[in-house]
Amino acid sequence: MVDAAAGSPVSLQVYRYTPGDSTVRPVIGEIEDALPQDDLVAHAAEALTSGTFMCYAVSQDDDFVADELCFVPQGDHCDILNIRTNGWQRHHGDHRRSLVEILNNLAAAVACGKLRVLDAAQVAAETAAGKEVFHFDISGSAELTAAREAVDDELRAAGIDDATRKRTTLCISEAVTNMLLHGGGHGGMTLRRLHDRLRVVVADHGSGLNFLNWMEPPKAKGQASMGYGFKIILDYLDAVGLSTGPDGTTLLLDRITTN
Amino acid sequence: MLRTTIAQGPAPTVFLAGEMDLDCADTLREAVAEAARGAQMVVLDFADVEFIDSSGTGIFVRLCLDMKSQSTPLLARNLSPAVRGVFEMLRVPELVGEDVFQS
Repeated sequence: MVDAAAGSPVSLQVYRYTPGDSTVRPVIGEIEDALPQDDLVAHAAEALTSGTFMCYAVSQDDDFVADELCFVPQGDHCDILNIRTNGWQRHHGDHRRSLVEILNNLAAAVACGKLRVLDAAQVAAETAAGKEVFHFDISGSAELTAAREAVDDELRAAGIDDATRKRTTLCISEAVTNMLLHGGGHGGMTLRRLHDRLRVVVADHGSGLNFLNWMEPPKAKGQASMGYGFKIILDYLDAVGLSTGPDGTTLLLDRITTN
Repeated sequence: MLRTTIAQGPAPTVFLAGEMDLDCADTLREAVAEAARGAQMVVLDFADVEFIDSSGTGIFVRLCLDMKSQSTPLLARNLSPAVRGVFEMLRVPELVGEDVFQS
């Protein structure tokens, strides 16, 4: 199996352990050859049994920067986040946010339950939950504006206060913009109503978020790093679901509508 | 969509209105370039900006840094609540300098 993160400055890969399995399986990225499956399984089982988040620093040869393996119990399974920095340093004064900081924010969001990493079965179930309110095919900024305004109208009708409504539409804009810039340039946005929340599903069939190599800045002129968008999404929404891989990316953006 | 109105003068001002998202780069750059002709600085007035996201913010940051390097600095004033919240969250003053923002 290839080492998907080899040569990349910063990467995040997510594995999953389910009790009874003898190995962990990849959810984002691939299992690297050098990772000891037995140790991963043992630590994941321990995290699940104790119900405790566990994080280990992993030293690499010739590298004073320790990478991280985080074990996050998730009820009936344990997610394992493998963050490799490959010596990448924070860039003070750089107008792009530190890639390491972005990945650590993602890991923290998973650890505290704000962000759930979804496998294919979970995506299928959760994108069908509730009732569809509307759907937009989106391939440019005009559709982005229309979709944003439609969500705003629905949030207003649901009685969401102004500040929360604006923060929510901001998050929708970030997710759809990421899709346009990094998800192949087009995709769909669907609003669904569940019993306790409104859920916006943003999905594309691009080549997946580039978690495996975030060194290259966006090529489009005047565009900011995608890390900004994820920070906003994670800070402002009630719950976020993410699935990404070579066949596309799906984001679930939830706003709770009941107190 | 972002709309711009230019008020020429010793400190030319670009009044911004509407939405600043991934589509605003050309409109903003063209307006600032027009206002900057022969000027020592350009003021951006954000009072009527109803929406900004990280793409719009990134475009503003990059333009700020470009103009500073060309010795025609941008100043920003009248940040609407929507703009102020996003700029603070994304630490824009740290990126472009506190002196960009007029009280």
